[in-house]
Amino acid sequence: MIANVDSLSQGLATLLQVIVVALGGPLLVGLMAKVKARAEGRVGAPISQPLRDLRKLLAKERLHARHASVVLPLAPMVIMATSVVAVAITPLVSTHPLLGSSADILVIVYLLLTGSAAAALAGLDPGTAFGGMGASRAMTIGALAEPALLVAVIALSIQSGTSNLPGIMASTLANPQWVLGPSRLLALGALLIVVIAETGRIPVDNPSTHLELTMVHEAMILEYAGPELALVSLGEAMRVGLLFSLVANLFLPWGIATHDTALALALGTVVVALKTAFVAVAVALIEVRSAKLRLFRLPELLAGGFVMSVLAVVTGLVTR
Amino acid sequence: MLIIAILAVPLAMTLVAAAFAWRAWIGWASAASSATFLGLGIWLSVRTLSAPQWALHHSLRADSLSAFMVVVIGTVSLLATLFTPRTMRQEISSGVTTARYARHYVVLMQVFITCMLVAVLTANLGVLWVSIEATTIATTFLVSHRRTDGAFEASWKYVILCSVGIALAFLGTVLIYYAQLHASGSAHSASLDWTSVMSLAPHLDPNVTRLAFALLVVGYGTKVGLVPMHSWLPDAHSQAPAPVSALMSGVLLSVAFYALLRFRAVAEAALGPAFPRALLLVVGIASLLLATLMLIAQRDLKRMLAYSSIEHMGLLALGAAVASPLAIAAVLLHVLGHGITKSVLFLSSGEIYSLEGTTEMDKISGLLARRPTLAGIFGFAVLSLVALPPFSLFVSELTMARAEVDAGLWWVVVISLVCLSVIFAALASHTRTMLMGAGAESVAPTSSPASITVPLIGALVACVALGAFSWPLQSLLLHAAQVVIP
Amino acid sequence: MTSTYIATLELAAGAVLLSAVMTLWRRGVRSIVSMLSLQGVALAAVAMVLGRHEHENALLVTGVLVLVVKGLVVPTLLRRVSRLDPRSRESRPLVNVPASLVFAAALIVLAYVVGTRITALSPTSATHLAPLGLATVLVGYFMLVTRRRAVSKIVGLILVDNGIALVTFLLTSGVPLIVELGSSLDVLLVVVVLQFLMVSMRRHSDTDRLTEMKALHD
Repeated sequence: MIANVDSLSQGLATLLQVIVVALGGPLLVGLMAKVKARAEGRVGAPISQPLRDLRKLLAKERLHARHASVVLPLAPMVIMATSVVAVAITPLVSTHPLLGSSADILVIVYLLLTGSAAAALAGLDPGTAFGGMGASRAMTIGALAEPALLVAVIALSIQSGTSNLPGIMASTLANPQWVLGPSRLLALGALLIVVIAETGRIPVDNPSTHLELTMVHEAMILEYAGPELALVSLGEAMRVGLLFSLVANLFLPWGIATHDTALALALGTVVVALKTAFVAVAVALIEVRSAKLRLFRLPELLAGGFVMSVLAVVTGLVTR
Repeated sequence: MLIIAILAVPLAMTLVAAAFAWRAWIGWASAASSATFLGLGIWLSVRTLSAPQWALHHSLRADSLSAFMVVVIGTVSLLATLFTPRTMRQEISSGVTTARYARHYVVLMQVFITCMLVAVLTANLGVLWVSIEATTIATTFLVSHRRTDGAFEASWKYVILCSVGIALAFLGTVLIYYAQLHASGSAHSASLDWTSVMSLAPHLDPNVTRLAFALLVVGYGTKVGLVPMHSWLPDAHSQAPAPVSALMSGVLLSVAFYALLRFRAVAEAALGPAFPRALLLVVGIASLLLATLMLIAQRDLKRMLAYSSIEHMGLLALGAAVASPLAIAAVLLHVLGHGITKSVLFLSSGEIYSLEGTTEMDKISGLLARRPTLAGIFGFAVLSLVALPPFSLFVSELTMARAEVDAGLWWVVVISLVCLSVIFAALASHTRTMLMGAGAESVAPTSSPASITVPLIGALVACVALGAFSWPLQSLLLHAAQVVIP
Repeated sequence: MTSTYIATLELAAGAVLLSAVMTLWRRGVRSIVSMLSLQGVALAAVAMVLGRHEHENALLVTGVLVLVVKGLVVPTLLRRVSRLDPRSRESRPLVNVPASLVFAAALIVLAYVVGTRITALSPTSATHLAPLGLATVLVGYFMLVTRRRAVSKIVGLILVDNGIALVTFLLTSGVPLIVELGSSLDVLLVVVVLQFLMVSMRRHSDTDRLTEMKALHD
């Protein structure tokens, strides 16, 4: 009985988390666009513009390419599903969401990877040139970013003694002096590079370009229209929200709800939102200051991220 | 007091050379200073037979090994400085250099000699490192003295490779100090002083000492010219002016080897004889084999002499690997004999270069007909280099072979003999090309001036004397050898 | 008190290794030289923190010396040298940048494996960081071998020296002062020598051919 009530409240908390991220993700994207616009001296679109775009897209007609197979309509659902599940099991608002015991960082990484793979397949499916090109570029970036991500997470788990996300957060809460240690800082640097690569921001990819020379992510989803494009965009926005708030929570876990009381959950939501917004603004400022790298220079950046994460591991081992 | 005098003489010569513009008398003065500290060194060797000498509040120390090295440095620098006036005159008249650079040359050479003396006379292994580093810097400028493309490239390669090697040797020294800190338990009784290092040596941690010794072999081995850290040697020794090559090949390599001998003693006390022996055998055999291969098809005279230095350093490493008193005594005799012989060879090759204008052996022939004395000196020196009796290198190599057999290293003796025979054939054939052959038969033989022939012949006679009278020297050599056998 | 000492020491040692990796990453000479002066400052910080903690004045003096020589003088000399040679941008190294970075990661792991065997001898919070210095040495050596430009080779040499200095400070809290002086002066002199060589070479002919060391061979 008590267990049912517990899991019921846990389930409600998890649902709340998913809804928050589903709404917050597009808001984050809008926030970043606003920051960039202001930094460039423009007024820019309102922060809620991506949500309005989603509503507009949902009302439009579905279109499929002639030579597309079942992969094309399935992929947006896979992207959305993996994002939702990843969000559901990650400790963002509270330290023990439903299924939180499987909140191993590797699970989350591979859920996101499944979404990326689905997007790449969808790019290949209609048989157009842009789609194939975008898919190959995106997979290259992903292949280079994965090792950096994994090793950075290993660095974090070496210091905390576990790769379970709530465990990492709990140990960081218990040892606040770790936050400024070289291992954490290096892992933060590596994770920032990886997150920028995975979410397709400058200097890896320009989310607002449609030029053949510079498209990576946009090329993959070029064939989508209407509700399917809405699903893909929402799934991507949820990934952005997930990754940013994960970075924020791993390095500054204060404010996360450790109990399932309504007050703690509300506080946790607000704090997570603020932290994630902070990370988003930081990324947007990085975007403003850098230029997009040419494609053959990307391996340098990602290899640099990889070395930083190896450095984080070794530093973590020697400073134990 | 004696030690301070030995250091003061070349130091004073440095100041004199820096103060005055280049004249021939400065060259002769530097030769006189070398002769002086050579004499003082011989006196020091006699004194150290009874007990090690100390100076300057125990920061300078001379045991028989140090004194012997002073004698080696003195002999080779005497030969090199005797040739300085002639070399500078030839270079200035042919426009290769100017009086200003000649002054730099003499100053740098004296600094170089002083640093080598400090290296062998210091009590502290750290100061040993500093002085060998200082010799690297001085010799870089000496190698680039002629300011040709080849000289610059050679000195660039030299300074880069030797700086890395020296840095690794520093790391090895630091690790030894670290092991000492741990073994002595307090920071105040640990030091890099030779006597305290040797007394604590049996208690040094094996893992750290193993890594330290490996780093030291690689680091100081770079300066000795052991394979695979040798690639700077042929370039540097062939592009430098002849007296500089004589000094570098004849004695700088041996001073770096002296550092290796000291550290080998520490390593053997800490680890037992197996690990140092294995490491030294590897680099020794590798050096011997590579030198043999490169000597066969060699075309340049000075590069040939440089590779021969690599061969002899390999032999020294093999002798040090055995590390019995007889072996080390043979090594020391070899150091002296090789120093003298190689100087004679480089100095006469400098003379040949100024005669022929090239060091390519294909383009030189008929020397025996044109310059009989010089060619004779060169020929006999080559015979000494390939260790024919009655020269001292024969005695030292034979003794080393005997010591290797005593230690059960038959295979090393076999490999050495094969390599030495091949080297003998190669050097003999190259020399024969130069000395005999269809030169200008119509040109009458001219005699070389006494200022070059007398010192060189004197040096060769000294080599023979060393070989013939090595038996009386044995007690000094064995006494010196005991210093680096724990 | 002790935890701030340890935290500062860790940050400084980490900064030394990070700046070494950054010199491998960046191509422009100006950014590489800035990384070198950052490394010099971090190295000086290590020396001074250790000196203050162990109450050894010799180490504090060494720290100031390192700051001046490796944080100021050497980078200034390098910048001057690179201004003379307009083609000092490393555009075509022997091993390309991403591969060098991955190789550097392997070298760092190797340094860790070797280094922990040494620090096992006397494990204190300072000696534990020695593998970071060893890693800097290996990265510097790698840079020396795989870069074509003269300035890059000099930078590799300086990295080797700095790494060894870091290991020295951490393992032994400095060797006797005279050796420390000799070591710092040695770095300065090597840079002076190399600068001189580069200037002389430029006056004579094509610097790149000479520093690629291809002309003399058997």
